[in-house]
Amino acid sequence: MLLISCPYCGVERPETEFRYGGEAHIARPADPSQLNDEEWAQFLYMRTNTRGLYAERWRHAHGCGRFFNAVRDTVSDKFVCTYKAGEPKPDLDALARASQEKDAR
Amino acid sequence: MSAHSQKSTQSARLAHGGRIDRSRTLQFSFDGKVMQAHPGDTLASALIANGVHLVGRSFKYHRPRGILTAGSEEPNALVGVYRHGDQTPNLRATQVEVYEGLMAISQNRYPSLDFDVGAINDVLSPLFPAGFYYKTFMWPKAFWDKVYEPVIRAAAGLGKPPKLADPDHYANLYAHCDVLVIGSGPAGLAAALSASETGARVILCDEQAEMGGSLLSETGSTIEGLPAAEWVAATLATLAARDNVTLLPRTTAFGYFVQNFIALAERVTDHLAQPGANLPRERMWQVRAKEVVIAAGAHERPMVFPENDRPGILLASAGRTYLNRYGATVGRRVLVTTACDSAWAAAFDLADAGVEVVAIADMRATPPEHLREAAARRGIRVEAACVVTGTSGRLRVSKAMLGRLRNDGSVVSAGDVTCDAILMSSGWTPSVSLYSQSRGKVVWNAEHEAFLPGASVQRERSAGSCRGVNGLAAVLEDGYAAAANRQRRPQPVPRARADA
Ligand SMILES: [Zn+2]
Repeated sequence: MLLISCPYCGVERPETEFRYGGEAHIARPADPSQLNDEEWAQFLYMRTNTRGLYAERWRHAHGCGRFFNAVRDTVSDKFVCTYKAGEPKPDLDALARASQEKDAR
Repeated sequence: MSAHSQKSTQSARLAHGGRIDRSRTLQFSFDGKVMQAHPGDTLASALIANGVHLVGRSFKYHRPRGILTAGSEEPNALVGVYRHGDQTPNLRATQVEVYEGLMAISQNRYPSLDFDVGAINDVLSPLFPAGFYYKTFMWPKAFWDKVYEPVIRAAAGLGKPPKLADPDHYANLYAHCDVLVIGSGPAGLAAALSASETGARVILCDEQAEMGGSLLSETGSTIEGLPAAEWVAATLATLAARDNVTLLPRTTAFGYFVQNFIALAERVTDHLAQPGANLPRERMWQVRAKEVVIAAGAHERPMVFPENDRPGILLASAGRTYLNRYGATVGRRVLVTTACDSAWAAAFDLADAGVEVVAIADMRATPPEHLREAAARRGIRVEAACVVTGTSGRLRVSKAMLGRLRNDGSVVSAGDVTCDAILMSSGWTPSVSLYSQSRGKVVWNAEHEAFLPGASVQRERSAGSCRGVNGLAAVLEDGYAAAANRQRRPQPVPRARADA
């Protein structure tokens, strides 16, 4: 069972308190009626599904109830960081380089 | 039940030795036959003490099966144990502790263990070289439901499932610790000692009833000037006196999940004749550990030769454990066949206990000089470049055929020996299963000729023989170091000395 740190509560809690929310930083189009079918499908269904570091949404469903974002390594299942909704997406390449250097040491 | 009121059934129990409580005698039954044992016995050690090696039948061909090991790695001696009017199938006799009135049954035999109708498959086995091919039995189609399937179902499978609802209850609890140590052999005990010295919260678990692992079967080795078993007792007393240490015997670590989340199963009442109604049968511990030390030890490998599956043929370390820990001998005329040094210790201990060791057959052309001298002192015949090429004996081994290995790789007969037990060892395989579960990748090590743990993926370290460290002194040091780098103050390492 994963331990996840909620940035609002400031504590680590077991995975069972949380709900997964899919990829983070996907902006809803300002005017959906202006999109053609392909663009709408792109927004609705297409995700990067990265092998490695992935920014994703989680909801502390059985805690504070709030959505937040996390960077998780989809290979090792390790959480690199969590941050509040609205904060900018971290530089995933820089994070990946940093964690590689840490492993090499 | 007094030992004096009736004749002892324990024909293979030696007059002295072992860690069993000889002041009390227990009665248990196996397939309805009443036998005697002592507190501290497992069902396997009690059966061996009663001269019983035939304990089951193999999965498909119903070949006679005997006890092979003395631990949880036992593949053969699976039994059913009655409790509350129903039976639990597929328990390993090597893990079942004997209590007054224990009722156990053999499995997978019809109508009885020493006369088994299914064994006809063994005679017919050339017809089914790789077991039952279900396709063979598909035609004619109408025969499947009425004839083939019921017969195959009766012949295959192991124990029968229980019929009644489970009357027991089971507990579940969460625990957190700084260091979880899995295994209480020399490496695990040393790791628990060094981890707990600075006040870290330590959980030490071991699957056996008594902690100490291989040290409980040791003779002649001393640690800090104490015989190994006394050092175990002193160390356990030290650990038990520390408030920050939790000792969990009879507790198997069976799952290693992400972020050092470990599942342990503690068997609470299975060993009690009359468990209190309030006690759960088992407790599942879900432990979140900051660090884990895996000290799971190593498994001995059998020698590969034709008919090495007869009852009476055991691993050498198991023969040594039954002798030193349970005061029972696996036979009266014992052959040792090996390709490594450790099996010789079993031969020496048996000879020193007055059991006839008919020969040590070592596959190596030149076994070490000090071992050959120690064998000569005891008058044990040594055959170098020698292997077992076959055995006979229907329900228990009675003879072994020896072969001499020649330089060109061919084997010529080196005569037969009569024996009622064979101890075998071809070396040791580190137990890397928990490490692998922690998502670590094993790496082939040519020097050890074994797969050893590679880099750690989680905050975990393997210590002792599960990572290929050999020899008591080195294993103690490794265990100590595995948990010691987390503390500032270096502690003296327990000093060990192993005598041949
Ligand atoms: Zn929260």
